[in-house]
Amino acid sequence: MSDNLARVPRPNWDNTPDTAQAHDTRHIEIVSTRSQRRARPRIVYALSAVAGMATIVIIQLLLSVGISQGAYEVSRLQASQVELGRTAESVTEDLVRISSPQNLAANAEALGMVSNSNPVYLRLSDGAVLGAPASATGSQGGAASLVPNALLAGVPLVTQLPQGAGQGASVGGAAADSPAKVAGVVPTPAPNGIPTPATR
Amino acid sequence: MATSTRSSRRRIAGTIVLLFAIIALFVVKLVDIQIVRAETLNAESLGNRSVEQPVYGSRGDILDANGVVLAGTVMRYNITLSPRNAVEFTRTTDAGEVTVTVAQAAAEVGALTGKTGDSILQVISGALAKDKSSDYAYVAKAVDVDVFRAVDKLEIPWIYFEKNPSRVYPDGAVAGNLVGFVSSGGEAQAGLELGQDSCLASTNGVETYEKGADGVRLPQSTVTTSQARNGGDVVTTVDSDLQWYVQQVLAKQAKATGAAWGNVVVQEVKTGKLVAVADYPSVDPNNVNGTENPDDRGSRAFTASFEPGSTFKALTAASVLDAGLASPGSKIVAPYRYLPSNGANVNDSSGHADLNLTMTGVLIESSNTGMSKFGELLSDQQRYDYMTRFGLGKATEAQFPAEDSGILHAWENWDSQTKYATMFGQGLTTTALQVSSIYQAIGNNGVRLPVQLVEGCRHADGTMTDVPATAGSQVVSPTAARDTADMLEMVYQKGWLAAKWNIPGYRVAAKTGTAQMPNGQGGYTRGYLVSVSGFAPADDPQYVVSVSLADPVKLNSSAASAPVFQEVMSQVLKKYRAVPSGAAAPALPGTW
Repeated sequence: MSDNLARVPRPNWDNTPDTAQAHDTRHIEIVSTRSQRRARPRIVYALSAVAGMATIVIIQLLLSVGISQGAYEVSRLQASQVELGRTAESVTEDLVRISSPQNLAANAEALGMVSNSNPVYLRLSDGAVLGAPASATGSQGGAASLVPNALLAGVPLVTQLPQGAGQGASVGGAAADSPAKVAGVVPTPAPNGIPTPATR
Repeated sequence: MATSTRSSRRRIAGTIVLLFAIIALFVVKLVDIQIVRAETLNAESLGNRSVEQPVYGSRGDILDANGVVLAGTVMRYNITLSPRNAVEFTRTTDAGEVTVTVAQAAAEVGALTGKTGDSILQVISGALAKDKSSDYAYVAKAVDVDVFRAVDKLEIPWIYFEKNPSRVYPDGAVAGNLVGFVSSGGEAQAGLELGQDSCLASTNGVETYEKGADGVRLPQSTVTTSQARNGGDVVTTVDSDLQWYVQQVLAKQAKATGAAWGNVVVQEVKTGKLVAVADYPSVDPNNVNGTENPDDRGSRAFTASFEPGSTFKALTAASVLDAGLASPGSKIVAPYRYLPSNGANVNDSSGHADLNLTMTGVLIESSNTGMSKFGELLSDQQRYDYMTRFGLGKATEAQFPAEDSGILHAWENWDSQTKYATMFGQGLTTTALQVSSIYQAIGNNGVRLPVQLVEGCRHADGTMTDVPATAGSQVVSPTAARDTADMLEMVYQKGWLAAKWNIPGYRVAAKTGTAQMPNGQGGYTRGYLVSVSGFAPADDPQYVVSVSLADPVKLNSSAASAPVFQEVMSQVLKKYRAVPSGAAAPALPGTW
């Protein structure tokens, strides 16, 4: 330490002021070379590319699993649609069949209805009666259907249905009961057996 | 240095040659697979996973005027089995695995399809006897959804199903004579099914799809090879409720009087539309074999012509009035037998002294001799021209299959008797439709409208095609038509059936007919074709009703057809709310 060499301060290559260095809390860093700096991002890119590819493959797998899952769903729904279509067709067929004129006429007759082929009109403007009133002779009365319909084989008449099974019967019964309850009086039957409605 | 260079060159050359050899091998294989064997391989791979199935187009419906389905298409199923695979199998039930023998399975299927198990076993053994590797035999054809589901539930591995679109007629025999039917193979056989087949027919399509190993359809793999096309709906002018009523009334009276056959036509006067065409006997298209006589399976109203008889006198009277040669009050003397100068011999139906009749009276008495004296005022050619203008001698515009045109010989070929016979409806034939059309023209102020049975062909998009023409033609003058209607009203009021066909409150115009029926050998049978034709209300005609009964053995006069006319006309007037006007009928004298 006694040599008297010229103490030339090291030129400040990195422009870091000595004073700053002195005050810093020992932050030491390896400064990478330029080539190192260039090389490092390449690995990141490669990794992200591989990750991306893996993601795509996974997504594609999931998608195709989803689609084939959907195919089973579609297949199941289509099968149930076909079944429901068959049911709809079958009940429509039943409905159309029992609404045929033969069935309606047979049921009306079974309920004791007769057709009056003698038309008479009441003109509302002046109360005039057009035509000559006459009682029904029941032109179809008792006559079995002479117009066959093979589809109606085995279809029962309303009167042949077990009591209470016909929905119409219970609805009719309820309708007949309710006015009596509301009015609080039982309508007195007319001499001919038809109940007189209480109108107010 | 030199040796190492040479060896490395050799190595490089070797590698290149090997590389090229491998590439060449690949190319050859690639060309072989992709080009040479491409089609076979494609077909093979598709065959392994692709399924081709028909897509059924639906045959169109036949509808009545209100949209009621008279004929529709429903899906039915054929049950088939594979005889060579018919062996016992195990079925998983709640009680565990159960072995089901062929006989058991056959009995189960038989119970559901209305057959015996033995008959199904016979199907299997019969098919195997013919062909040891038989893979296809019918168990039942055209079963409905309920049976199909029940059989499907049995899960018999060698039972298969195929679709079989079938025809159903919900109203049975109502309009069965008009609608016709199709064969079990779906071929149109008769009636509108046949006549309107070009409208109704559908085209089946084909689609293929690919399925995975578990039978599930692969997404996006469906290819429609050819599109299915549904048929159009035929809309008719018939009202199914009225049609039923008319058929019922006709059948009742035909049975009561022992008639061989009969028909009733109800036509709208102001449109020419047929609202009901009833035939007896008639067919239930659901059960065609139930009608034994093939002649009873169609509509005689269209396909059978007959000599109309006295209902035809209305045409002769209208023609004479139109030519201005007589009036309703014109007077003649009607003898029992009239021998015109040309050698003909005209008789009335029953003996009587000479009657002093007006033209009205001739119609009331239905006198052949009286009508001959009016008819001869016209030349043969004039009468022939009137007849053709009224639509005789050619099929109507209804375009019904196998429609009869009737027989109307050219006037030049009429012999002396035919010249007179054609004045009162013998010596020529008409269908029930043509008679109805004559009365329609008279009721419609002399304007004959085309007879219309079909409104048109309605397509899925709601458009109507094949709509028939509706332009009418003036056959006789309005005055002549009006006068004829007045005379026919007198017939209704004063004719011998006045009490039988009375509709209280209404004014009706009608005429009876009792015609001899040809025996097919140039002579006449002992039976008669009895008829009534007319329209109402007479003061504003709305509907024509024309009734014909062939050979009613128990009541061989038009008294047999009158009640049918009365009931049908009453129903028609009631149904369509034809209100009586209340005006008084004209009083035309019948005698002098």
